[in-house]
Amino acid sequence: MYFSDLGTIALILAAGFALYTIFAAAWGAQRNMPLLVKSALRSTLAVTFFLLLASAALVVSFLIHDFGVRYVAEQSSLSMLWYYTAAAFYGGQEGSLLYWSLMLSVFAAIFVFTSRRAPAVMVPYSVATLMGIELFFLFMLTTVSSPFTRVPIAPLDGNGLNPLLLDPGMLVHPPMLLMGYMSFSLPFAFAIAALITGHLNNDWLRAIRRWTLASWTIQTTGLILGAWWAYHVLGWGGYWSWDPVENAALLPWLTATAFLHSTMVQERRGMLKVWNLVLVIASFALSIFGTFEVRSGVISSVHSFAYSDIGGYFLAFLVIVIVFSSGLFLFRLPKLRPEQEFDSVVSREGVFLLNNLLLVGIAFATLWGTIFPLISAAFRGQAVTVGPPFYNQVISPLLAVLILAMGIGPLLAWRRTSTRALWKNLCVPAIGAALCALILPLVGVTDVLANIGFAICAFTAGAILYELWRGVRVRHKHGENYLFALYMLFARYRQRYGGYLVHLGMVALVVGIIGSHFFQQQQDSVLKSGQEMSIAGYRFVYFGNIDMNQSDSETVISQVQIWHDGQLLRYIYPGRTMYHNFGNQPASLISITTSGLTDLYVYLDDWSGNTQATIRVFVNPLVPLVWYGGALMLLGGVICWWPQRRRVVSTATRPSPGAAEPPRPASIEDKEAIV
Amino acid sequence: MQAAVTPPQRRRLPLSFILAGIAILGAVLYLVFANTQANAVYYMTVPELKHCTTCTVQAVRVAGVVEAGSVARNDARQMINFTITDGKQLLPVTYTGVVPDIFRPGIQVVVEGHYTGQGPFQAQTLLAKCPSKFQSATPTSK
Repeated sequence: MYFSDLGTIALILAAGFALYTIFAAAWGAQRNMPLLVKSALRSTLAVTFFLLLASAALVVSFLIHDFGVRYVAEQSSLSMLWYYTAAAFYGGQEGSLLYWSLMLSVFAAIFVFTSRRAPAVMVPYSVATLMGIELFFLFMLTTVSSPFTRVPIAPLDGNGLNPLLLDPGMLVHPPMLLMGYMSFSLPFAFAIAALITGHLNNDWLRAIRRWTLASWTIQTTGLILGAWWAYHVLGWGGYWSWDPVENAALLPWLTATAFLHSTMVQERRGMLKVWNLVLVIASFALSIFGTFEVRSGVISSVHSFAYSDIGGYFLAFLVIVIVFSSGLFLFRLPKLRPEQEFDSVVSREGVFLLNNLLLVGIAFATLWGTIFPLISAAFRGQAVTVGPPFYNQVISPLLAVLILAMGIGPLLAWRRTSTRALWKNLCVPAIGAALCALILPLVGVTDVLANIGFAICAFTAGAILYELWRGVRVRHKHGENYLFALYMLFARYRQRYGGYLVHLGMVALVVGIIGSHFFQQQQDSVLKSGQEMSIAGYRFVYFGNIDMNQSDSETVISQVQIWHDGQLLRYIYPGRTMYHNFGNQPASLISITTSGLTDLYVYLDDWSGNTQATIRVFVNPLVPLVWYGGALMLLGGVICWWPQRRRVVSTATRPSPGAAEPPRPASIEDKEAIV
Repeated sequence: MQAAVTPPQRRRLPLSFILAGIAILGAVLYLVFANTQANAVYYMTVPELKHCTTCTVQAVRVAGVVEAGSVARNDARQMINFTITDGKQLLPVTYTGVVPDIFRPGIQVVVEGHYTGQGPFQAQTLLAKCPSKFQSATPTSK
């Protein structure tokens, strides 16, 4: 018996327990049989256990190089380092499906362990929904896309992972992104439970929000890591190319972001209930759509995932998800009435609504652009694609307004704000933005669009920092020193100030995008030893090539010096590695030197002998801000998500959790905002 | 809950909300459709391209497999010439710019550019299908 047989058995058992969970949970909840529900919860843990076992079996098969397993032979080879061999686990379709379902079951187990705090009526339906999704994946894994399929004769060595994937990015990006996709299942399951039971109170909404926040943070990580990986590996000097696969990952992120904002309107004012559930369900549907799109090959993408037949199954699943949720919606619509009315556009909820329209607008534009080849083929009989210019032109103005709203929104009070109070809060950042718009042309930034963008970013950053400063100053007046006051702000009002951090990160990221979009410079030169090229005040002196042979590959690197202002910055070694297993497919070793806020991106395009090289240099201003901003967004997301001890205590001691205006820390924030 | 207790008439949104909403939706739709028209790139097969009359001015995308032995690089001018095929017909391509790492004979590429009807296809963009996922990278061979 091989480990792969163990894996197959574990998958079948997991499927059995998942099926049991669905029926036991639903039946137990319908007939009010707590014991049956309890057995369903335990059976969820069994699913997790068997999926852990199956995954372990696959990892072990990889590590012992059991090439009798087709998937192992396709994805790994003897010469691969052990951590890439283990990471090959999710390198292909079968393994990534297994990883998806493993993560889903782990999250389901976490939910089961924490379910004591959740309302008892919701738990069984949530678990049943989660296991319904799980069952779909287990069905795929046991029938059409099994990672444990054996071949009669084991090859001596495996095919190996594609060289482009032999990068540290492989260790972090795919698991994060797949986990992000997967994690939208939990808010979805909660939303379905709310629709089935017809209860959607503030506590449950907060549970949905916390899980969505976790999903959002994971997905943000996955997206940023993906951009970083592309930037470091692909050699075209950019980090985002509006490829359908990238768009697919962005879509659920956009709707989840919209939800995280509009949910606050529901918590505070009891409005937008239907809209919120639509966003949660849309996020999940879009993550399934992404998987479908990526796997089915219906849309031509740079990432040619194997054209497999599982696309059809995903489409069927997507249709089931949409039909099921829409049916529940129509059934429950009468119960989801708003409790209050909108008063004024110039209010916090007004800006949230604007934010939602913009985010959904961006999502719509992205989806439209992604599936446009299908739409045009269906209606005009001719496949037409739209490239990056389309996305840039549509999304930039929307993003600009979104960033502006990000600066104004937190300064507005709920219900309505007087113009005078608004101006009092806005005048400082507005003056800052005006100064920025005046000074930039004087220092040589003359592009009008870029200047508008920078001014908007300056406004929003100013508004956030000014808000932080006022918070600190108020506490300082009460006798705290500045640093401690800042710490206390974050400790007391995590969501509010964590949110500000996310916003600041987003502003930094956008500044980076503007910088690299408008001011990237590129130069290609064929250099012989001792020759040099210069671009944007940097000199590149080329010395020669070094050729290194390894058992499975050959590496050529060029030695180059970077000079700036008459000083030697550093030696760099851009190069290429050719892998023999893949018909000498090269993988680039790109040299990126960060000098202040500018990236010098050097790529060895071609070479001849030891004394000639074709060097391509990109000067990418402000790109480091993309990464710093991304890191700040993550930090903010984690701070928002981090459990708040005080709140749990106050929830526990509160007599009626469903009261209309629970005394939350949030209401204290509100007063501060009005002051 | 108590659907009956709440006032039976539908709650109305203030006019200002409706106007603001319509303005934004209108702007989004306008941006999307106007830019779709402006940025459309036709996807064509090699035979379709050969009969295309508007491709001199309009950008088109063509997918194909790089023909073995057809790749010729010109380092001095950063140019690369090659031939792609859809399995039956051949199309010579000339391209200037970043050549993806995985570019080599036998892989599937998508070229985007202009075609005058004679001479090689003038590609502005060269996309190589990223074989991030394994198996045979040329779906046309299946």
